[in-house]
Amino acid sequence: MRETPNFKGWRASILHREDATTERLSRQLRLLGLIATTSWAPLCAQDLPDVILVDADQGWADLLPWAGMDAPRPLVALLGSEAPGRIAWAMGQGAGAIIAKPMAPSAVYPALVMALGIHQERKAALQRTQHLEERIRLRPLVYAAVERLIAARKVDEERAYAILRHCAMQRRLTMEQIAASIVAGAEPLPEAG
Amino acid sequence: MGIFVFGGFMGTTKIGILYSTTGPYGAMGRDGRDGAEFAIEELAAEHPGLIEPVFIDPGANIPEYLEGARAMLRDHGCRHIVGTITSLARKEVLPLVEKHDGLLWYMCPYEGFEANDNVIYTGACPNQHLLPLFEYLIPRYGNRPYLVGANYVWGWEMNRLARELIGQAGGEVLGERYLPLEETAVERIVADIEQRRPSFILNNLIGPSSYAFLAAIKALGNRDPAFCPEKCPVVSCDLTECELPDIGPGVAEGQLSAAAYFDGLTTPENLAFKARVASRFGPGRRISSIFASAYASVKLCAEAIVIAGTDEPLAVRRALSATAHPSVLGPILIDEDTHHAALPFHLGRINAEGRFDVIQSQSAIAADPYLTGRKLRVPPQLRIVS
Repeated sequence: MRETPNFKGWRASILHREDATTERLSRQLRLLGLIATTSWAPLCAQDLPDVILVDADQGWADLLPWAGMDAPRPLVALLGSEAPGRIAWAMGQGAGAIIAKPMAPSAVYPALVMALGIHQERKAALQRTQHLEERIRLRPLVYAAVERLIAARKVDEERAYAILRHCAMQRRLTMEQIAASIVAGAEPLPEAG
Repeated sequence: MGIFVFGGFMGTTKIGILYSTTGPYGAMGRDGRDGAEFAIEELAAEHPGLIEPVFIDPGANIPEYLEGARAMLRDHGCRHIVGTITSLARKEVLPLVEKHDGLLWYMCPYEGFEANDNVIYTGACPNQHLLPLFEYLIPRYGNRPYLVGANYVWGWEMNRLARELIGQAGGEVLGERYLPLEETAVERIVADIEQRRPSFILNNLIGPSSYAFLAAIKALGNRDPAFCPEKCPVVSCDLTECELPDIGPGVAEGQLSAAAYFDGLTTPENLAFKARVASRFGPGRRISSIFASAYASVKLCAEAIVIAGTDEPLAVRRALSATAHPSVLGPILIDEDTHHAALPFHLGRINAEGRFDVIQSQSAIAADPYLTGRKLRVPPQLRIVS
């Protein structure tokens, strides 16, 4: 890791009944520069904080205003229980790190760094997946454009594909975009040269 | 355990002094132990029966630290332990100190990223040593350093931070190499440095590795003037007076080190302190920041116990954070959130007599162990001392 993670000015929500754990946790978060609030009620989806720390011992699904693992913010689970069901609940909400209870203040910063890292990694992976899905969805278009080139330019499939790719690169478009224009007839067929 | 009588602390408090006087960082451990012992002797004259020390020497053996701390906390009833040099040893004893609700007085420069409720940090963290050091070096020597370090968290984290600072300065790290704690085969690193020709060298090696490295750089500077200290200094945040005799006369002359204290400081407080140390240890004794910090920590601990009327850690912490306490490092204020001392920054250059000439000083900088920039620095009052 190159850059020192800095949480200064971040808003943190602690979803936990107020007790000695939340008091120590708030203190440590403040020390790390975060602005922390503690509550034991469902979070408002319209006003999410920058990071969420949730009691995984007693948490329930409606506490967090999203469904499944796609947590829109870095999520840390506060966990005293070793029950597999509770661990699964934390993972199911998209937690990227666990702070064990009773809480050691030295566990807070590593958990924040890890939860943030996991969150960013998941976001990047999701974007990559969406991008690839889109390309797979448009593959038939590329195939149709290649077919047209084979017929019109009397070239083999490999050559037709190369022409299409060259054209996409020159126009700074994706293969799918250029193929869509060709198939729709909006684009003259590129030359074989 | 103390007895609270008429607002004054009347009992005897046992303080554990936990230093390794042998092994790769033995020179630092001996200075820490001497500094602590000297403070205890002075306290015995001032407040007879207030402090009873418990000395344990783990011999640089990590499991022995745990055993030593356990004996202090459980068998001797110490609530305060002054000591440990390396972060490795500190991390080892911390869970036990927490469990017994004790207070560890850690007085060495370290890599930061810690603010434990059961520790008082009187050693500097990076915003008090590495950051001002680089602010000094980059405009003068350039932004293409070479980084060397001991192969554990001190070396790794200091060099990671150095890399980040160099990145922010638009520079480039020309090399980064690590050696095991007692390794002295430095030839390949020095050959690499010779080839890459950095602006300066950050040395986070410990003990004999560091001494061998400094000797090899000295030889390199003799062969090629581009590597003399004036052109390409070797800089550290933990090289102090106590190691210069082991390095050898003249070997490290001209190299730079940052510390919260140097023997060469000419304040009236330090001159008086030096006179007292000289009458106890002889006139040849060079006082290192390790000695001074261990001394200041024991004094601070005793003072806070007297003010608090108890040796109970929470009350002691409150007494420490309520007001600045005069010390040989200057007035020491312990931050109530981070438990770190605000410390001055001094830059020393090793001279021909094996002392440090203080070439730059900044007044006390509040500790920012997680580098959040949460506290604005006390405006630096730059002052060229020589």
